[in-house]
Amino acid sequence: MVGMKNTNDMDNSYLNNDMSATGEIGSEITIENLSIQFPDKDGGAPVVALQNVNLEIKPGEFITLVGPSGCGKTTLLRTIADLQQPTTGSVNIRGKSPREIRKEKKFGIVFQNPVLYDWRTVRRNVCMPMELMGIPKKERTARVTKMLELVGLYDFGTKYPHELSGGMQQRVGIARALAIRPEILLMDEPFSALDEFTKEKLHVDLLRIWSKTKKTIIFVTHNISEAVLLSDRVVVLSPHPGRVSAIVDIDLERPRGLEIKDTDKFNALVSKVRNSFEGV
Amino acid sequence: MKGYKGFVLARCNVGAKQEKSRSLGKGGYEMNQIKKIVQSKQMVTFAWIIGLVAVWEIIASYVEKTKRTPDNVLPHLYQIVESVFSPDLVNGSQTAIQIVLSNAGITLFRAAIGFVIGTAIGFLLALLMNMFTAAEKIAFPYLMIIQMIPILGMAPIVLAITKDIDTSRIVIAAILTFYPVATNTLAGFKSVEKEKHELMYSLAARKRDIYKKLLIPSCMPYFFTGLKISAPMAITASILVDTLQGGGGLGCMLSQSLKHAMTIYVFWQIVFVGAIIGILSYALMTLLERLVSPNKKAKR
Repeated sequence: MVGMKNTNDMDNSYLNNDMSATGEIGSEITIENLSIQFPDKDGGAPVVALQNVNLEIKPGEFITLVGPSGCGKTTLLRTIADLQQPTTGSVNIRGKSPREIRKEKKFGIVFQNPVLYDWRTVRRNVCMPMELMGIPKKERTARVTKMLELVGLYDFGTKYPHELSGGMQQRVGIARALAIRPEILLMDEPFSALDEFTKEKLHVDLLRIWSKTKKTIIFVTHNISEAVLLSDRVVVLSPHPGRVSAIVDIDLERPRGLEIKDTDKFNALVSKVRNSFEGV
Repeated sequence: MKGYKGFVLARCNVGAKQEKSRSLGKGGYEMNQIKKIVQSKQMVTFAWIIGLVAVWEIIASYVEKTKRTPDNVLPHLYQIVESVFSPDLVNGSQTAIQIVLSNAGITLFRAAIGFVIGTAIGFLLALLMNMFTAAEKIAFPYLMIIQMIPILGMAPIVLAITKDIDTSRIVIAAILTFYPVATNTLAGFKSVEKEKHELMYSLAARKRDIYKKLLIPSCMPYFFTGLKISAPMAITASILVDTLQGGGGLGCMLSQSLKHAMTIYVFWQIVFVGAIIGILSYALMTLLERLVSPNKKAKR
């Protein structure tokens, strides 16, 4: 039944939780004093992946975690997704733990690789998570059609993943993540393996999809320009140890197109983000 | 021999014509042509066939001169082909090829039952070993030992346990089948990428669904590799175990023929029929795989 819930219910379900422990109205995800350490394999001092991260994410916000390798941006995303456990501190999503949210199947995850099942057609790949949720077949078919139209792959429904280009495969991954109507979309460097042209096309697509679905999106990237183009706020992470060194508000008007990249304001914001890194 | 050479020359001509129509400059044309012929897969196959036939015939002629037994143990190839079509009865009621084919049916039937049982056991074992690490640690190293015991050493033991030669033939085919299937399927389960597991985890998938929707479909190429290895093995084992006792089957006829209780041509026909069955069993597995995994067809 969880899966049947319309995204429009999101605000209501949020209000139902205003008695939550955090009591922070207007915050979708609250990260408090989060630190993550990985034990050293050779028995040395543990590696500090993230140190004392505090972050609040608003409902429907497009937020980007940007930083160089080793800054812990993926670790932070994985912690929100319950793929990684905090060493200290907490992640709170509408008064619930990441685990509870995961069990309610409210996360849509898009990985760096498309992670498609090569024995399934495009349609059946998008369908797979809904099968797990026990959504009736008729509903599944309708949603698959809708999602493939949204990502512009309707004509490729009967193809197998290996017959598609990298960009198309990634779009199938996005359609699959959106098909379960997640409340939070987590994207881990989804476009980093793609060429520049495909990447730009998918940026436009993602902005369009986001404006239509109004999901909360947490997007991880090491590409500053990509971060500025897409997001409402850019969280700048610096490495050794991984920490938040700045949060930059991106007050560019929406809807945005690629032409915005040629404006002075855009370039000023890119510089601002670039200058926020510490120790790189 | 002349026939083969003629055929090869004809092929060269065809190749030359194709090359002519494609290549623009005349220079380097000869070289390209030679390179192409040498590189072509069919040519290699032809070279092998011609080589083997030549060696066979040379040895056959030599053996013919020094023969001490009623039959030439290594007949000429044309004699074997002739014997297939010969209407002469070799055991009072059947011709050589009738004997071979009827016994091939018996052997194939036993091998098939053993193969199916072995496949089922192998697959279930792989599932168990993947589900429970303890099962893997306990079972896996010792499974290999079973595989190391020679079939002919194992056969009397199995016979002593089952007390029935037909049952033990099936059991041995099953024993030889299950190991390649189990190891390959297990390798298939282990090869699933971490991200695919994480996707299932993020969707809070139940264990049953993870197996049904992720692990079992993704281990199929490995599973079929196991089947392709074990199908011809099950047949070979079946023939070999046949030789131990009577009761029909290719192996029985094979040993009788070798002991000159029957014409030597039965032996040679069994050798070739056996080889063909082995190859066909492999082809059948490939066909099955394509039916099960339609995405594979498009890939090739």
